[in-house]
Amino acid sequence: MSLVHINIFLAFTVSLVGLLMYRSHLMSSLLCLEGMMLSLFVMATMTVLNTHFTLASMMPIILLVFAACEAALGLSLLVMVSNTYGVDHVQNLNLLQC
Amino acid sequence: MFSSLMLVSLLVLTLPIMSSIFNTYKNSTFPHHVKNTISYAFITSLIPTMMFIHSGQETIISNWHWMTMQTLKLSLSFKLDYFSMIFVPVALFVTWSIMEFSLWYMHSDPYITRFFKYLLTFLITMMILVTANNLFQLFIGWEGVGIMSFLLIGWWYGRTDANTAALQAILYNRIGDIGFIMAMAWFLFNTNTWDLQQIFMLDPNLTNLPLLGLLLAATGKSAQFGLHPWLPSAMEGPTPVSALLHSSTMVVAGVFLLIRFHPLMENNKTIQSLTLCLGAITTLFTAICALTQNDIKKIIAFSTSSQLGLMIVTIGINQPYLAFLHICTHAFFKAMLFMCSGSIIHSLNDEQDIRKMGGLFNAMPFTTTSLIIGSLALTGIPFLTGFYSKDLIIETANTSYTNAWALLMTLIATSLTAVYSTRIIFFALLGQPRFLPLTSINENNPFLINSIKRLLIGSVFAGFFISNNIYPTTVPEMTMPTYMKLTALAVTILGFTLALELSLMTHNLKLEHSTSVFKFSNLLGYYPTIMHRLPPLANLSMSQKSASLLLDSIWLENILPKSISQFQMKTSILISTQKGQIKLYFLSFLITLTLSMLLFNLHE
Repeated sequence: MSLVHINIFLAFTVSLVGLLMYRSHLMSSLLCLEGMMLSLFVMATMTVLNTHFTLASMMPIILLVFAACEAALGLSLLVMVSNTYGVDHVQNLNLLQC
Repeated sequence: MFSSLMLVSLLVLTLPIMSSIFNTYKNSTFPHHVKNTISYAFITSLIPTMMFIHSGQETIISNWHWMTMQTLKLSLSFKLDYFSMIFVPVALFVTWSIMEFSLWYMHSDPYITRFFKYLLTFLITMMILVTANNLFQLFIGWEGVGIMSFLLIGWWYGRTDANTAALQAILYNRIGDIGFIMAMAWFLFNTNTWDLQQIFMLDPNLTNLPLLGLLLAATGKSAQFGLHPWLPSAMEGPTPVSALLHSSTMVVAGVFLLIRFHPLMENNKTIQSLTLCLGAITTLFTAICALTQNDIKKIIAFSTSSQLGLMIVTIGINQPYLAFLHICTHAFFKAMLFMCSGSIIHSLNDEQDIRKMGGLFNAMPFTTTSLIIGSLALTGIPFLTGFYSKDLIIETANTSYTNAWALLMTLIATSLTAVYSTRIIFFALLGQPRFLPLTSINENNPFLINSIKRLLIGSVFAGFFISNNIYPTTVPEMTMPTYMKLTALAVTILGFTLALELSLMTHNLKLEHSTSVFKFSNLLGYYPTIMHRLPPLANLSMSQKSASLLLDSIWLENILPKSISQFQMKTSILISTQKGQIKLYFLSFLITLTLSMLLFNLHE
């Protein structure tokens, strides 16, 4: 693979690890989710532009839209946790009742 | 000369209204002008009537061409035939007496000039109704009397009950107007005209629909069963209004309409049966309701309603001329009954409850005389006024091929007429006084005395006078068994004796708790209580539920969004057994991912 692809793949992997392993704040997990989305977006755009696959040039935009929706959902969950406790430390989550 | 005199007498009536822009309106003599105008109009209208009786020639005056809509020509036309020629002098005579009476009754009212203007406007619209030759002009008169009734019932508008009663009158009349307009539309479609002559000439075949419409209109205007509660409620208006509108003139407009259409009705047996049954139900039901009322004006109002039912029964046995005769004779004694009750009410300082009257036999001799003569005329005692129309109706009903049940109802109602008349006389006139000792009983005013005196002479002689001078129309039944001829008299005497016996027997007993029959009769058969609450509630709640609840809140909100969220919340509570150790879960996810990638990539 070319250097650019390795670069972006590495960015994706770093964000993934950061999503799954974090200390206390839920917010960092959400930020890493955004990072994953960003790297995917760049990868998709570059591939489409390099191979001149014009028909698929919608894909990155649609990916962006759906990522925005999921970010909103994640933020609303964060707000709900924060409403109850004031901070978003993950160790609080075992006391949440639906 | 005939036609121009009639037009003059009708025109004279409108003069005081037009003079209201001048200064005479502000005078206190305006009511006297109005009364004099009506007496002149009455005398002027007697001349064409006598010419008509002499020659039997009917006239149609067609004056002013208003508009033509493609094939329909509307013009101002007056039909001066048997019905309108005899009704106009009778109505003017009765109105003259009522105007003079209200000069005494409404003497202390600050807006007496406006009162007289309203009464005069009512009279003009009634004349338009009676002399109309096409349905459009009739409708103008019809609506006019409805509006004036509204204004006059709500004369004392500060009183809530009066406003409610006026609104009730308008609403019930409106339901009748639906029938009228349906009939007008049918006639326009099928006979291309609103002129009575053309309709009768063409003689359409299937006349069920327009005659049903006209029957509905008569039910609304003449307070037949189903649309009757407005008439007793209309007693909220002043007594002259009750005497003029709701006994002699306006409520007979419905009957008059059916009489006008008698050439169509005599060919339609179905409508005749319907009319007969409706009239029989009305006359019996309202007579039952009159038995236990405590307000003297309401008893007389129910008596009017019962007599109207009798007129409708007469139309149902195909005797329009008899019904018309009953209209004319009924006007005299009913107006006089109302005026006597007005005299009693004013003398006892506005007391209308018969349980608080008594002993007026000696205190008010003139009113007593006229009340008793009026009641006797109402029940059809031989050779007073009511006899000439009422007895003929009962005889004809007995000897005609008609519905036996309707006939039985009518006979029972005739005896009940005697019963409630006895009730009025017993409670108001006989016995010891039950009113407060400080009284202002006074019958000295010449306005009161003269007006009642005129109607008294009318109540005694008018039946004889009219029925001897009109030309014969339908042949009355000449031969019948003796018991049939005496039926009306027998049931009336039965009613009188029964009522008198019961009243005397129970006069000093303690008042027991009301039986259910008493409550049925006193609350007007529960009809207003049910019909004024249940249908409006059902309609409004159904419309509210279907519009806002069904469409908005169920379809748009509840079906998908809220139901999904409810479902999710319930099931997630049900099946979640997690403890919230998120970092552990994420870590296991990462290790699994790494392991799988290593395994599958280092495979080759």
